Amino acid sequence: MKALFITIFFLLPALVPAQLKLVNDTLQMQGDSVVITANRMERKLSNVTVPVNIINAKQIQQTGSLRLTDILKEQPGLTMTSGFGAGVQLQGLNPDYTIILINGEPLVGRTAGVLDLNRIALGNIKKIEIVKGPSSSLYGSEAMAGVINIITEAGTSIPLQASLRYGTYQTMDMGINNAIATKLVFYQGFYNYYNTDGYSIRPNSSSRVTTPITRYTINQQLKINLTDNTNVSFGVRITDEKIKNDISVNNGGTTITSSGNENNTDQNYNISLNHRYNNSLKTSFRGYLTQYNSKQDLVTVSGDPYYDLLNHLFQRVENQTDWNVNKKVNVLFGAGAVWEGVKSTRYDSEKIRKNNAIQYGFTQLEWSPLDKLILIGGVRFDKNESYASAFSPKLSALYKVNTKNKIKLSIGQGFKAPDFRQIYLDFTNAAAGGYSVFGTAQAQEVINQLSQKGQIGALYDSYFKLKALSPEYSTGVHLSWDYEPNANSFYSFQLFRNDISNLIQVQQVGAYITGAQIFSYLNIGRAYTQGFELEAKQKLNKKLLLSGGYQYLETGDKDQIDQIKSGKVYTRGANGYSKLLSLSDYVGLPNNSKHKAQLKLNYYTSNGFFANFRILYRSKWAVNNTNGNEVFDNGDDFAKGYLSLHTSFGKEYKNGIYLQVGCDNITNYIDASNLPNLPGRTFFGTIKYQIFNK
Amino acid sequence: MKKALQSFTLLVVILTSVVACSKDTTATVLPITAITVNDIPADTVVGLSAQGIPITNGKYTFYSLEKNAIVPNTDSASTKWDIAFMATRILTNGGTSGTGLGGAFVYTGLFDGLKTIPTDSVFKTDNAPTSYAITTGSGKGWYTYDGLNNLITPLAGRVLVIKTASGKYAKIEIISYYKGGVTLPASASDADKLNKQRYYTFRFAYQPNGSKTF
Repeated sequence: MKALFITIFFLLPALVPAQLKLVNDTLQMQGDSVVITANRMERKLSNVTVPVNIINAKQIQQTGSLRLTDILKEQPGLTMTSGFGAGVQLQGLNPDYTIILINGEPLVGRTAGVLDLNRIALGNIKKIEIVKGPSSSLYGSEAMAGVINIITEAGTSIPLQASLRYGTYQTMDMGINNAIATKLVFYQGFYNYYNTDGYSIRPNSSSRVTTPITRYTINQQLKINLTDNTNVSFGVRITDEKIKNDISVNNGGTTITSSGNENNTDQNYNISLNHRYNNSLKTSFRGYLTQYNSKQDLVTVSGDPYYDLLNHLFQRVENQTDWNVNKKVNVLFGAGAVWEGVKSTRYDSEKIRKNNAIQYGFTQLEWSPLDKLILIGGVRFDKNESYASAFSPKLSALYKVNTKNKIKLSIGQGFKAPDFRQIYLDFTNAAAGGYSVFGTAQAQEVINQLSQKGQIGALYDSYFKLKALSPEYSTGVHLSWDYEPNANSFYSFQLFRNDISNLIQVQQVGAYITGAQIFSYLNIGRAYTQGFELEAKQKLNKKLLLSGGYQYLETGDKDQIDQIKSGKVYTRGANGYSKLLSLSDYVGLPNNSKHKAQLKLNYYTSNGFFANFRILYRSKWAVNNTNGNEVFDNGDDFAKGYLSLHTSFGKEYKNGIYLQVGCDNITNYIDASNLPNLPGRTFFGTIKYQIFNK
Repeated sequence: MKKALQSFTLLVVILTSVVACSKDTTATVLPITAITVNDIPADTVVGLSAQGIPITNGKYTFYSLEKNAIVPNTDSASTKWDIAFMATRILTNGGTSGTGLGGAFVYTGLFDGLKTIPTDSVFKTDNAPTSYAITTGSGKGWYTYDGLNNLITPLAGRVLVIKTASGKYAKIEIISYYKGGVTLPASASDADKLNKQRYYTFRFAYQPNGSKTF
């Protein structure tokens, strides 16, 4: 496969005569591009009632981003997490609570709630829309903190493009895009090969922080216009990754090293039929199938095999109808059904798929009583087979005070369905003291059986509280003010608060007679996140754009706060003696930084030269509980706050050649234990060749 | 105005300390001074096997709270010791562990806050290997174990209330499980985590008159 890529790549320039015109570009201000994700219908950004950030293809290209992680980490309000791949934390909420869509269809296959964003290649992406705040009323489970929708290229004017990038750690990326666009048929293809040797930033360690990885991505999209008003489209996307693993696990002072391969495959297939009855009524039927398969095959040094499998299958059919009632009123309604199932070695049998079926319906009303005012209300109901049903309402409003000022308010409730593992996990860790974790579906039954065999030493109160899990809920309020004094300036201020209830947490429910713990899951936690965000863009002159973002964030576990207030939580002073923890020393949820900021300077000339310089800052965050209580406070272990500097520059020639070089993490900032995903200083160079339509 | 405020504050401070002093001197029971003991080894790691498994001698360190001294292992079958340490397990001289009158329970609260042992307190005795007076296990007795970073951290706000071998009372706060008296950071090397562990630093107060008041 690799050989094929290389051959195609180097043959391209020879095969195709250079002919071409440069697509002109300007520095990107806010613009008034079309947003799809925010309210599930195409609306101009200026008419969208909820906070949205848009990242366009140009930004992705000019920062030299390869994978989704690369570009998201530079966005205001988003933080990348490490552990089980690179996840995204949105406004202080963990990766579990943000849904990731590709062209509106969800990606599945999460490990411990994290969907590894390195899975997604950026080579054919037209734009990324980030919607903050609960959007479950339109998207269902997981859209609790927000929605990230990746929209792949459509209607491109580039019939053929090939790119090659090479950088530090033998990181190579090759991509080919091809497209055919006629009146009847639109076709787009994308092929990507990515390979890295990985790196080790921990001195004297044989295990690499990022292991050698090879990834292939193939994406094919075909749209056929059957009539002027009807079209049908098909899409296939396959990502395959092979990871060479050398894992060292430290167990009670003994280090066990295993080596082997991990193979992850993500397949997505979709089909949609869109029909426009007239100017005010259209409908679309969508079918979607996706399967994520993750397989780890390891052998420990002592020769013991270790095998881990996760297979998640997700199938969905859906219809959405949009009705433009009159100039002031738009209605949409939809319904769908999902069948999904997971097979895993960590359940009672890896051969039996655990299934869930969901039927759902949603509706939304957009009403514009005044020219200056847009109101949107929506609800969705999800009926689930294996856990409690969920109801998600949403209300939002946009008020255009004048041409320069806009105020948006949105209130909504989002939910996250219990994970399959929380329902079906059947895991006993023989190595680490023999503790067990049982999902709620069988916890009581299994523990009962163990009890009859005389293996249970104690049952806690929590055992008797075990029942079918309910979804987790978040109620979010977002208030934002956009100010555009002139065509060269844009400022935005956003206030947010999310209240989360029903959080599913691991809880000890009993113990074996050996003393080993038995855990299961209960809906018990309550938490909140709140803060504000600032965004600013200022065009300094025709060639320079300065932009920046800042987020202030506070988080907390409400039960912990209650306990601190009632004087039940202790900490340790500098002398090592215990003392009561005061609320002012409480830092809230781990892995959250209070301050996060970006500053970017973009330079662009009319002859195709571009350069950019980006500074990213993140303040300290709590990582380990080290001072003898169960809460995170100022006496615990923190990762240091840090700055990272990035630059890239290049030139787009009129004959279709594009050259770019860049350097990431210029100051070589490294924190091996807390930022394993941040390699030291890296360099890259890209060459791209594209053929434009005449 | 600012000066006046400062003088007033000073006055308040002086008055408060006078009141505090007079209270102390009129107390019926003399306050027991707390003693801090550093780096008591508790079956420390002496080497590594060929397979890389840590080797220890598997022996307890016996301690007398009355004498504030380590008791030789040859006196393990006597009432000369009050508590004994081996890794995270702490024994009291009673029940299955010894011939004394010893027992203990874990009190949740501050060391200084425990002035008198509540009358309804139940002193448990060791019943090896099923249960110990000072409960073993992460989060259950005096410590938590962080498996990811391989660190033992004493729980804050826990006092081990001890009945000694001779039936007197004492209270103990464990400060650290690592040599030097400070819990190692998660980023410490594996070698440090291995070799500096199993050293207790604790403070204790011993009431020789047999009362439950400190």
